[in-house]
Amino acid sequence: MRPALLWHIFSVEARKRMSYRADFWINSLGGIAVSFSVFWAITHAMFSSSGKTEIAGYSVSGMLLYYIFASLTGRVVQSNEVELAASQDIYDGSLSRYLLYPVPYAAVKYAQQAGGLAPQILQMIVFGIAALLLIGIPDEIHITSGTVAMYVLSLAMANLLHYLLLLPIQAVAFWADNVWSLVVASRFATSLLGGLLLPLDMFPPWSRPILDALPFAYLYSLPVRVLLGRASMAEWATGLAIAAGWCLLFSFVIRWIWRRGNLQYTGVGI
Amino acid sequence: MKRYLRLYAAFIRFSFSKAMEFRIDFFFRIGMDIIWNIVNISFFWILYQHTPLLGGWTFDQMLVFAGGVFVVDAVHMTLFSNNMWWLPTYINKGDVDYHLVRPVSSLFILSVRDFAANSFVNLLMACGILTWTLARYPSELGAASILLFLVLLLVGVVLHYALSMLFIIPTFWLHASGGLREFMWATEQYMTRPHGIFQGWTARILVSILPFGLIVSFPTRVLFEGPSLAVLLHIFAVTGAMFFFLTRLWRAGLRAYSSASS
Repeated sequence: MRPALLWHIFSVEARKRMSYRADFWINSLGGIAVSFSVFWAITHAMFSSSGKTEIAGYSVSGMLLYYIFASLTGRVVQSNEVELAASQDIYDGSLSRYLLYPVPYAAVKYAQQAGGLAPQILQMIVFGIAALLLIGIPDEIHITSGTVAMYVLSLAMANLLHYLLLLPIQAVAFWADNVWSLVVASRFATSLLGGLLLPLDMFPPWSRPILDALPFAYLYSLPVRVLLGRASMAEWATGLAIAAGWCLLFSFVIRWIWRRGNLQYTGVGI
Repeated sequence: MKRYLRLYAAFIRFSFSKAMEFRIDFFFRIGMDIIWNIVNISFFWILYQHTPLLGGWTFDQMLVFAGGVFVVDAVHMTLFSNNMWWLPTYINKGDVDYHLVRPVSSLFILSVRDFAANSFVNLLMACGILTWTLARYPSELGAASILLFLVLLLVGVVLHYALSMLFIIPTFWLHASGGLREFMWATEQYMTRPHGIFQGWTARILVSILPFGLIVSFPTRVLFEGPSLAVLLHIFAVTGAMFFFLTRLWRAGLRAYSSASS
C-alpha cells in the first residue's frame, strides 16, 4: 500500500470535480431547491392535516432540518459520479490498466471517490449553514461542536460503507453486461430504508429493530441524527460498531467475488 | 400515418429481439422497477401512519394516484426514456445527421426509435397495480369516470414527454447536458407527489409554466371530484401549448445544429 500514491489520486480527482462549475451549480442549487420544496410541501400538508405539532419527535422545523441534512449527507455518502465506475471499468476493459498498479484496485477507486467528494462537501457546508439560518433551530435539535465532530466520523464511516456495499453489486459486471439497474435499485432501497426519504423515527415501531440490524440506517439516518443531537453517545458508538461490522463483511464478500470475477475477466472490453 | 405505424412496429420487433440478447439485464430492469414501486407505496404508507389525509386525499385515493404515476412513468420509460438518454450524445457527436435525411419527422424518429422492451414488463405491472388500486377503492367510481381518468393519463404521458424534451433540446445550444438532465429528474418529483400538498405560487407554477401537476394529479382529481369543463379545458390547452412550444423549439434547435462532432 502506498499512501502517497493514494493521496495523489485523491487530490487529482478533487481538482477535476471542482473544475465543472456550471454543471455543479445547476445540479446543486436546482436539485436541492426542488427536493426541498417538495419535502416542505409534504411536511406542512402532513402537520396541518393531522393537527399535530410534533410527529415522531420532530416539529415542522425539526423535520425540515432533518430532510435538508439527510439530502446533503446523501450527496456525500453516494458520491454519484463514481457509483458505476468499477462496473464500467470491468465492462469496457479499463480494469486491465489498474491490474498493473502497485496498490489494490479497490483502494485506488476509493481514493478517487473520496477526492470526488470536494463539491459535495462544499455544498454541505454552504447549504447546511444557510438552512440553519433560514429555518432556525427548534427545541428538539441540539447541534454542538461535539455532535459535529461525531457527525464527521459517522459520515466517513457511511461513505466507506456505501462504497463497500456497492462494490459487490458492481462486480456483477464480470458476468452481466449492464448492472446500472442493480445500482439504481439499491439506491431506491437504501433511500427509503436508510432514512433519506423520511426519518426512520416515522417508521412503525415493529420495523425499528430490523432497520437497526440492516446496514442502511448507518448510511444516512445515524449521521444526521447524531448531528442534530438526537442520538446518544451509546447509540452513536453502537451504530459505528455495527457499520464497521458490515464493512468487514462486505470486504470479505467483495474479495470472494473479485477473485471469481477475475477468472472470468477477458480485458477485451466492448 | 400508415408508414409511421409500420416503422414503429419494426422498432418494437427490433427492441424485443435486442432485449432477449441481454437477458440478465432484462430481469435486472424488472427487479429495479418492482423496487421503485414498493418504495413509492411504502413512502405514502408511512406518511399515512401519522395523518389521515395528505393534500386532501385519503390513503385509498393516494394509492390510485400512485398507480397513475406508475403507469405514466412506465409508458414514458418504455417509449421515450432510452431515446432521451441518447439524444444529447447524438447532438454532440453529429449523429442527428443520419435521422435528418430519413423521409419521416426527425422529432418522431429520435423520440421513439428505441422501444425499451424491458420496461414494457414494468408497464404491465404498473397497469396491474392501477387496476388493483381502483378495484380495492371503497366506493363506486363508475366506468365512465375511470375511462375519462385513463384518457387523461394518456394526455399526461404526452405532457410528460413534451416537458422532458424541453429540458433536453437546449443541448443544441449548450452542448453540455448533464446538469439539465439531473435537474429534469429532480423536477419530476413534482409529478410523483399530489398537487394538493402545494400552496400559493408553487401550486400555480405547477399547473402553468412547469405543469407537472396536470400529468397525474389533475386526472386523479377529475376521477374523485367529477369532471369540470374548466379543468378539462385547462389540461388540454396546456398540453397543446407545451407540444406546440416543443415543435417550435425543436425546429430552432435543428437550425442551430452544426452537425460538427465535439
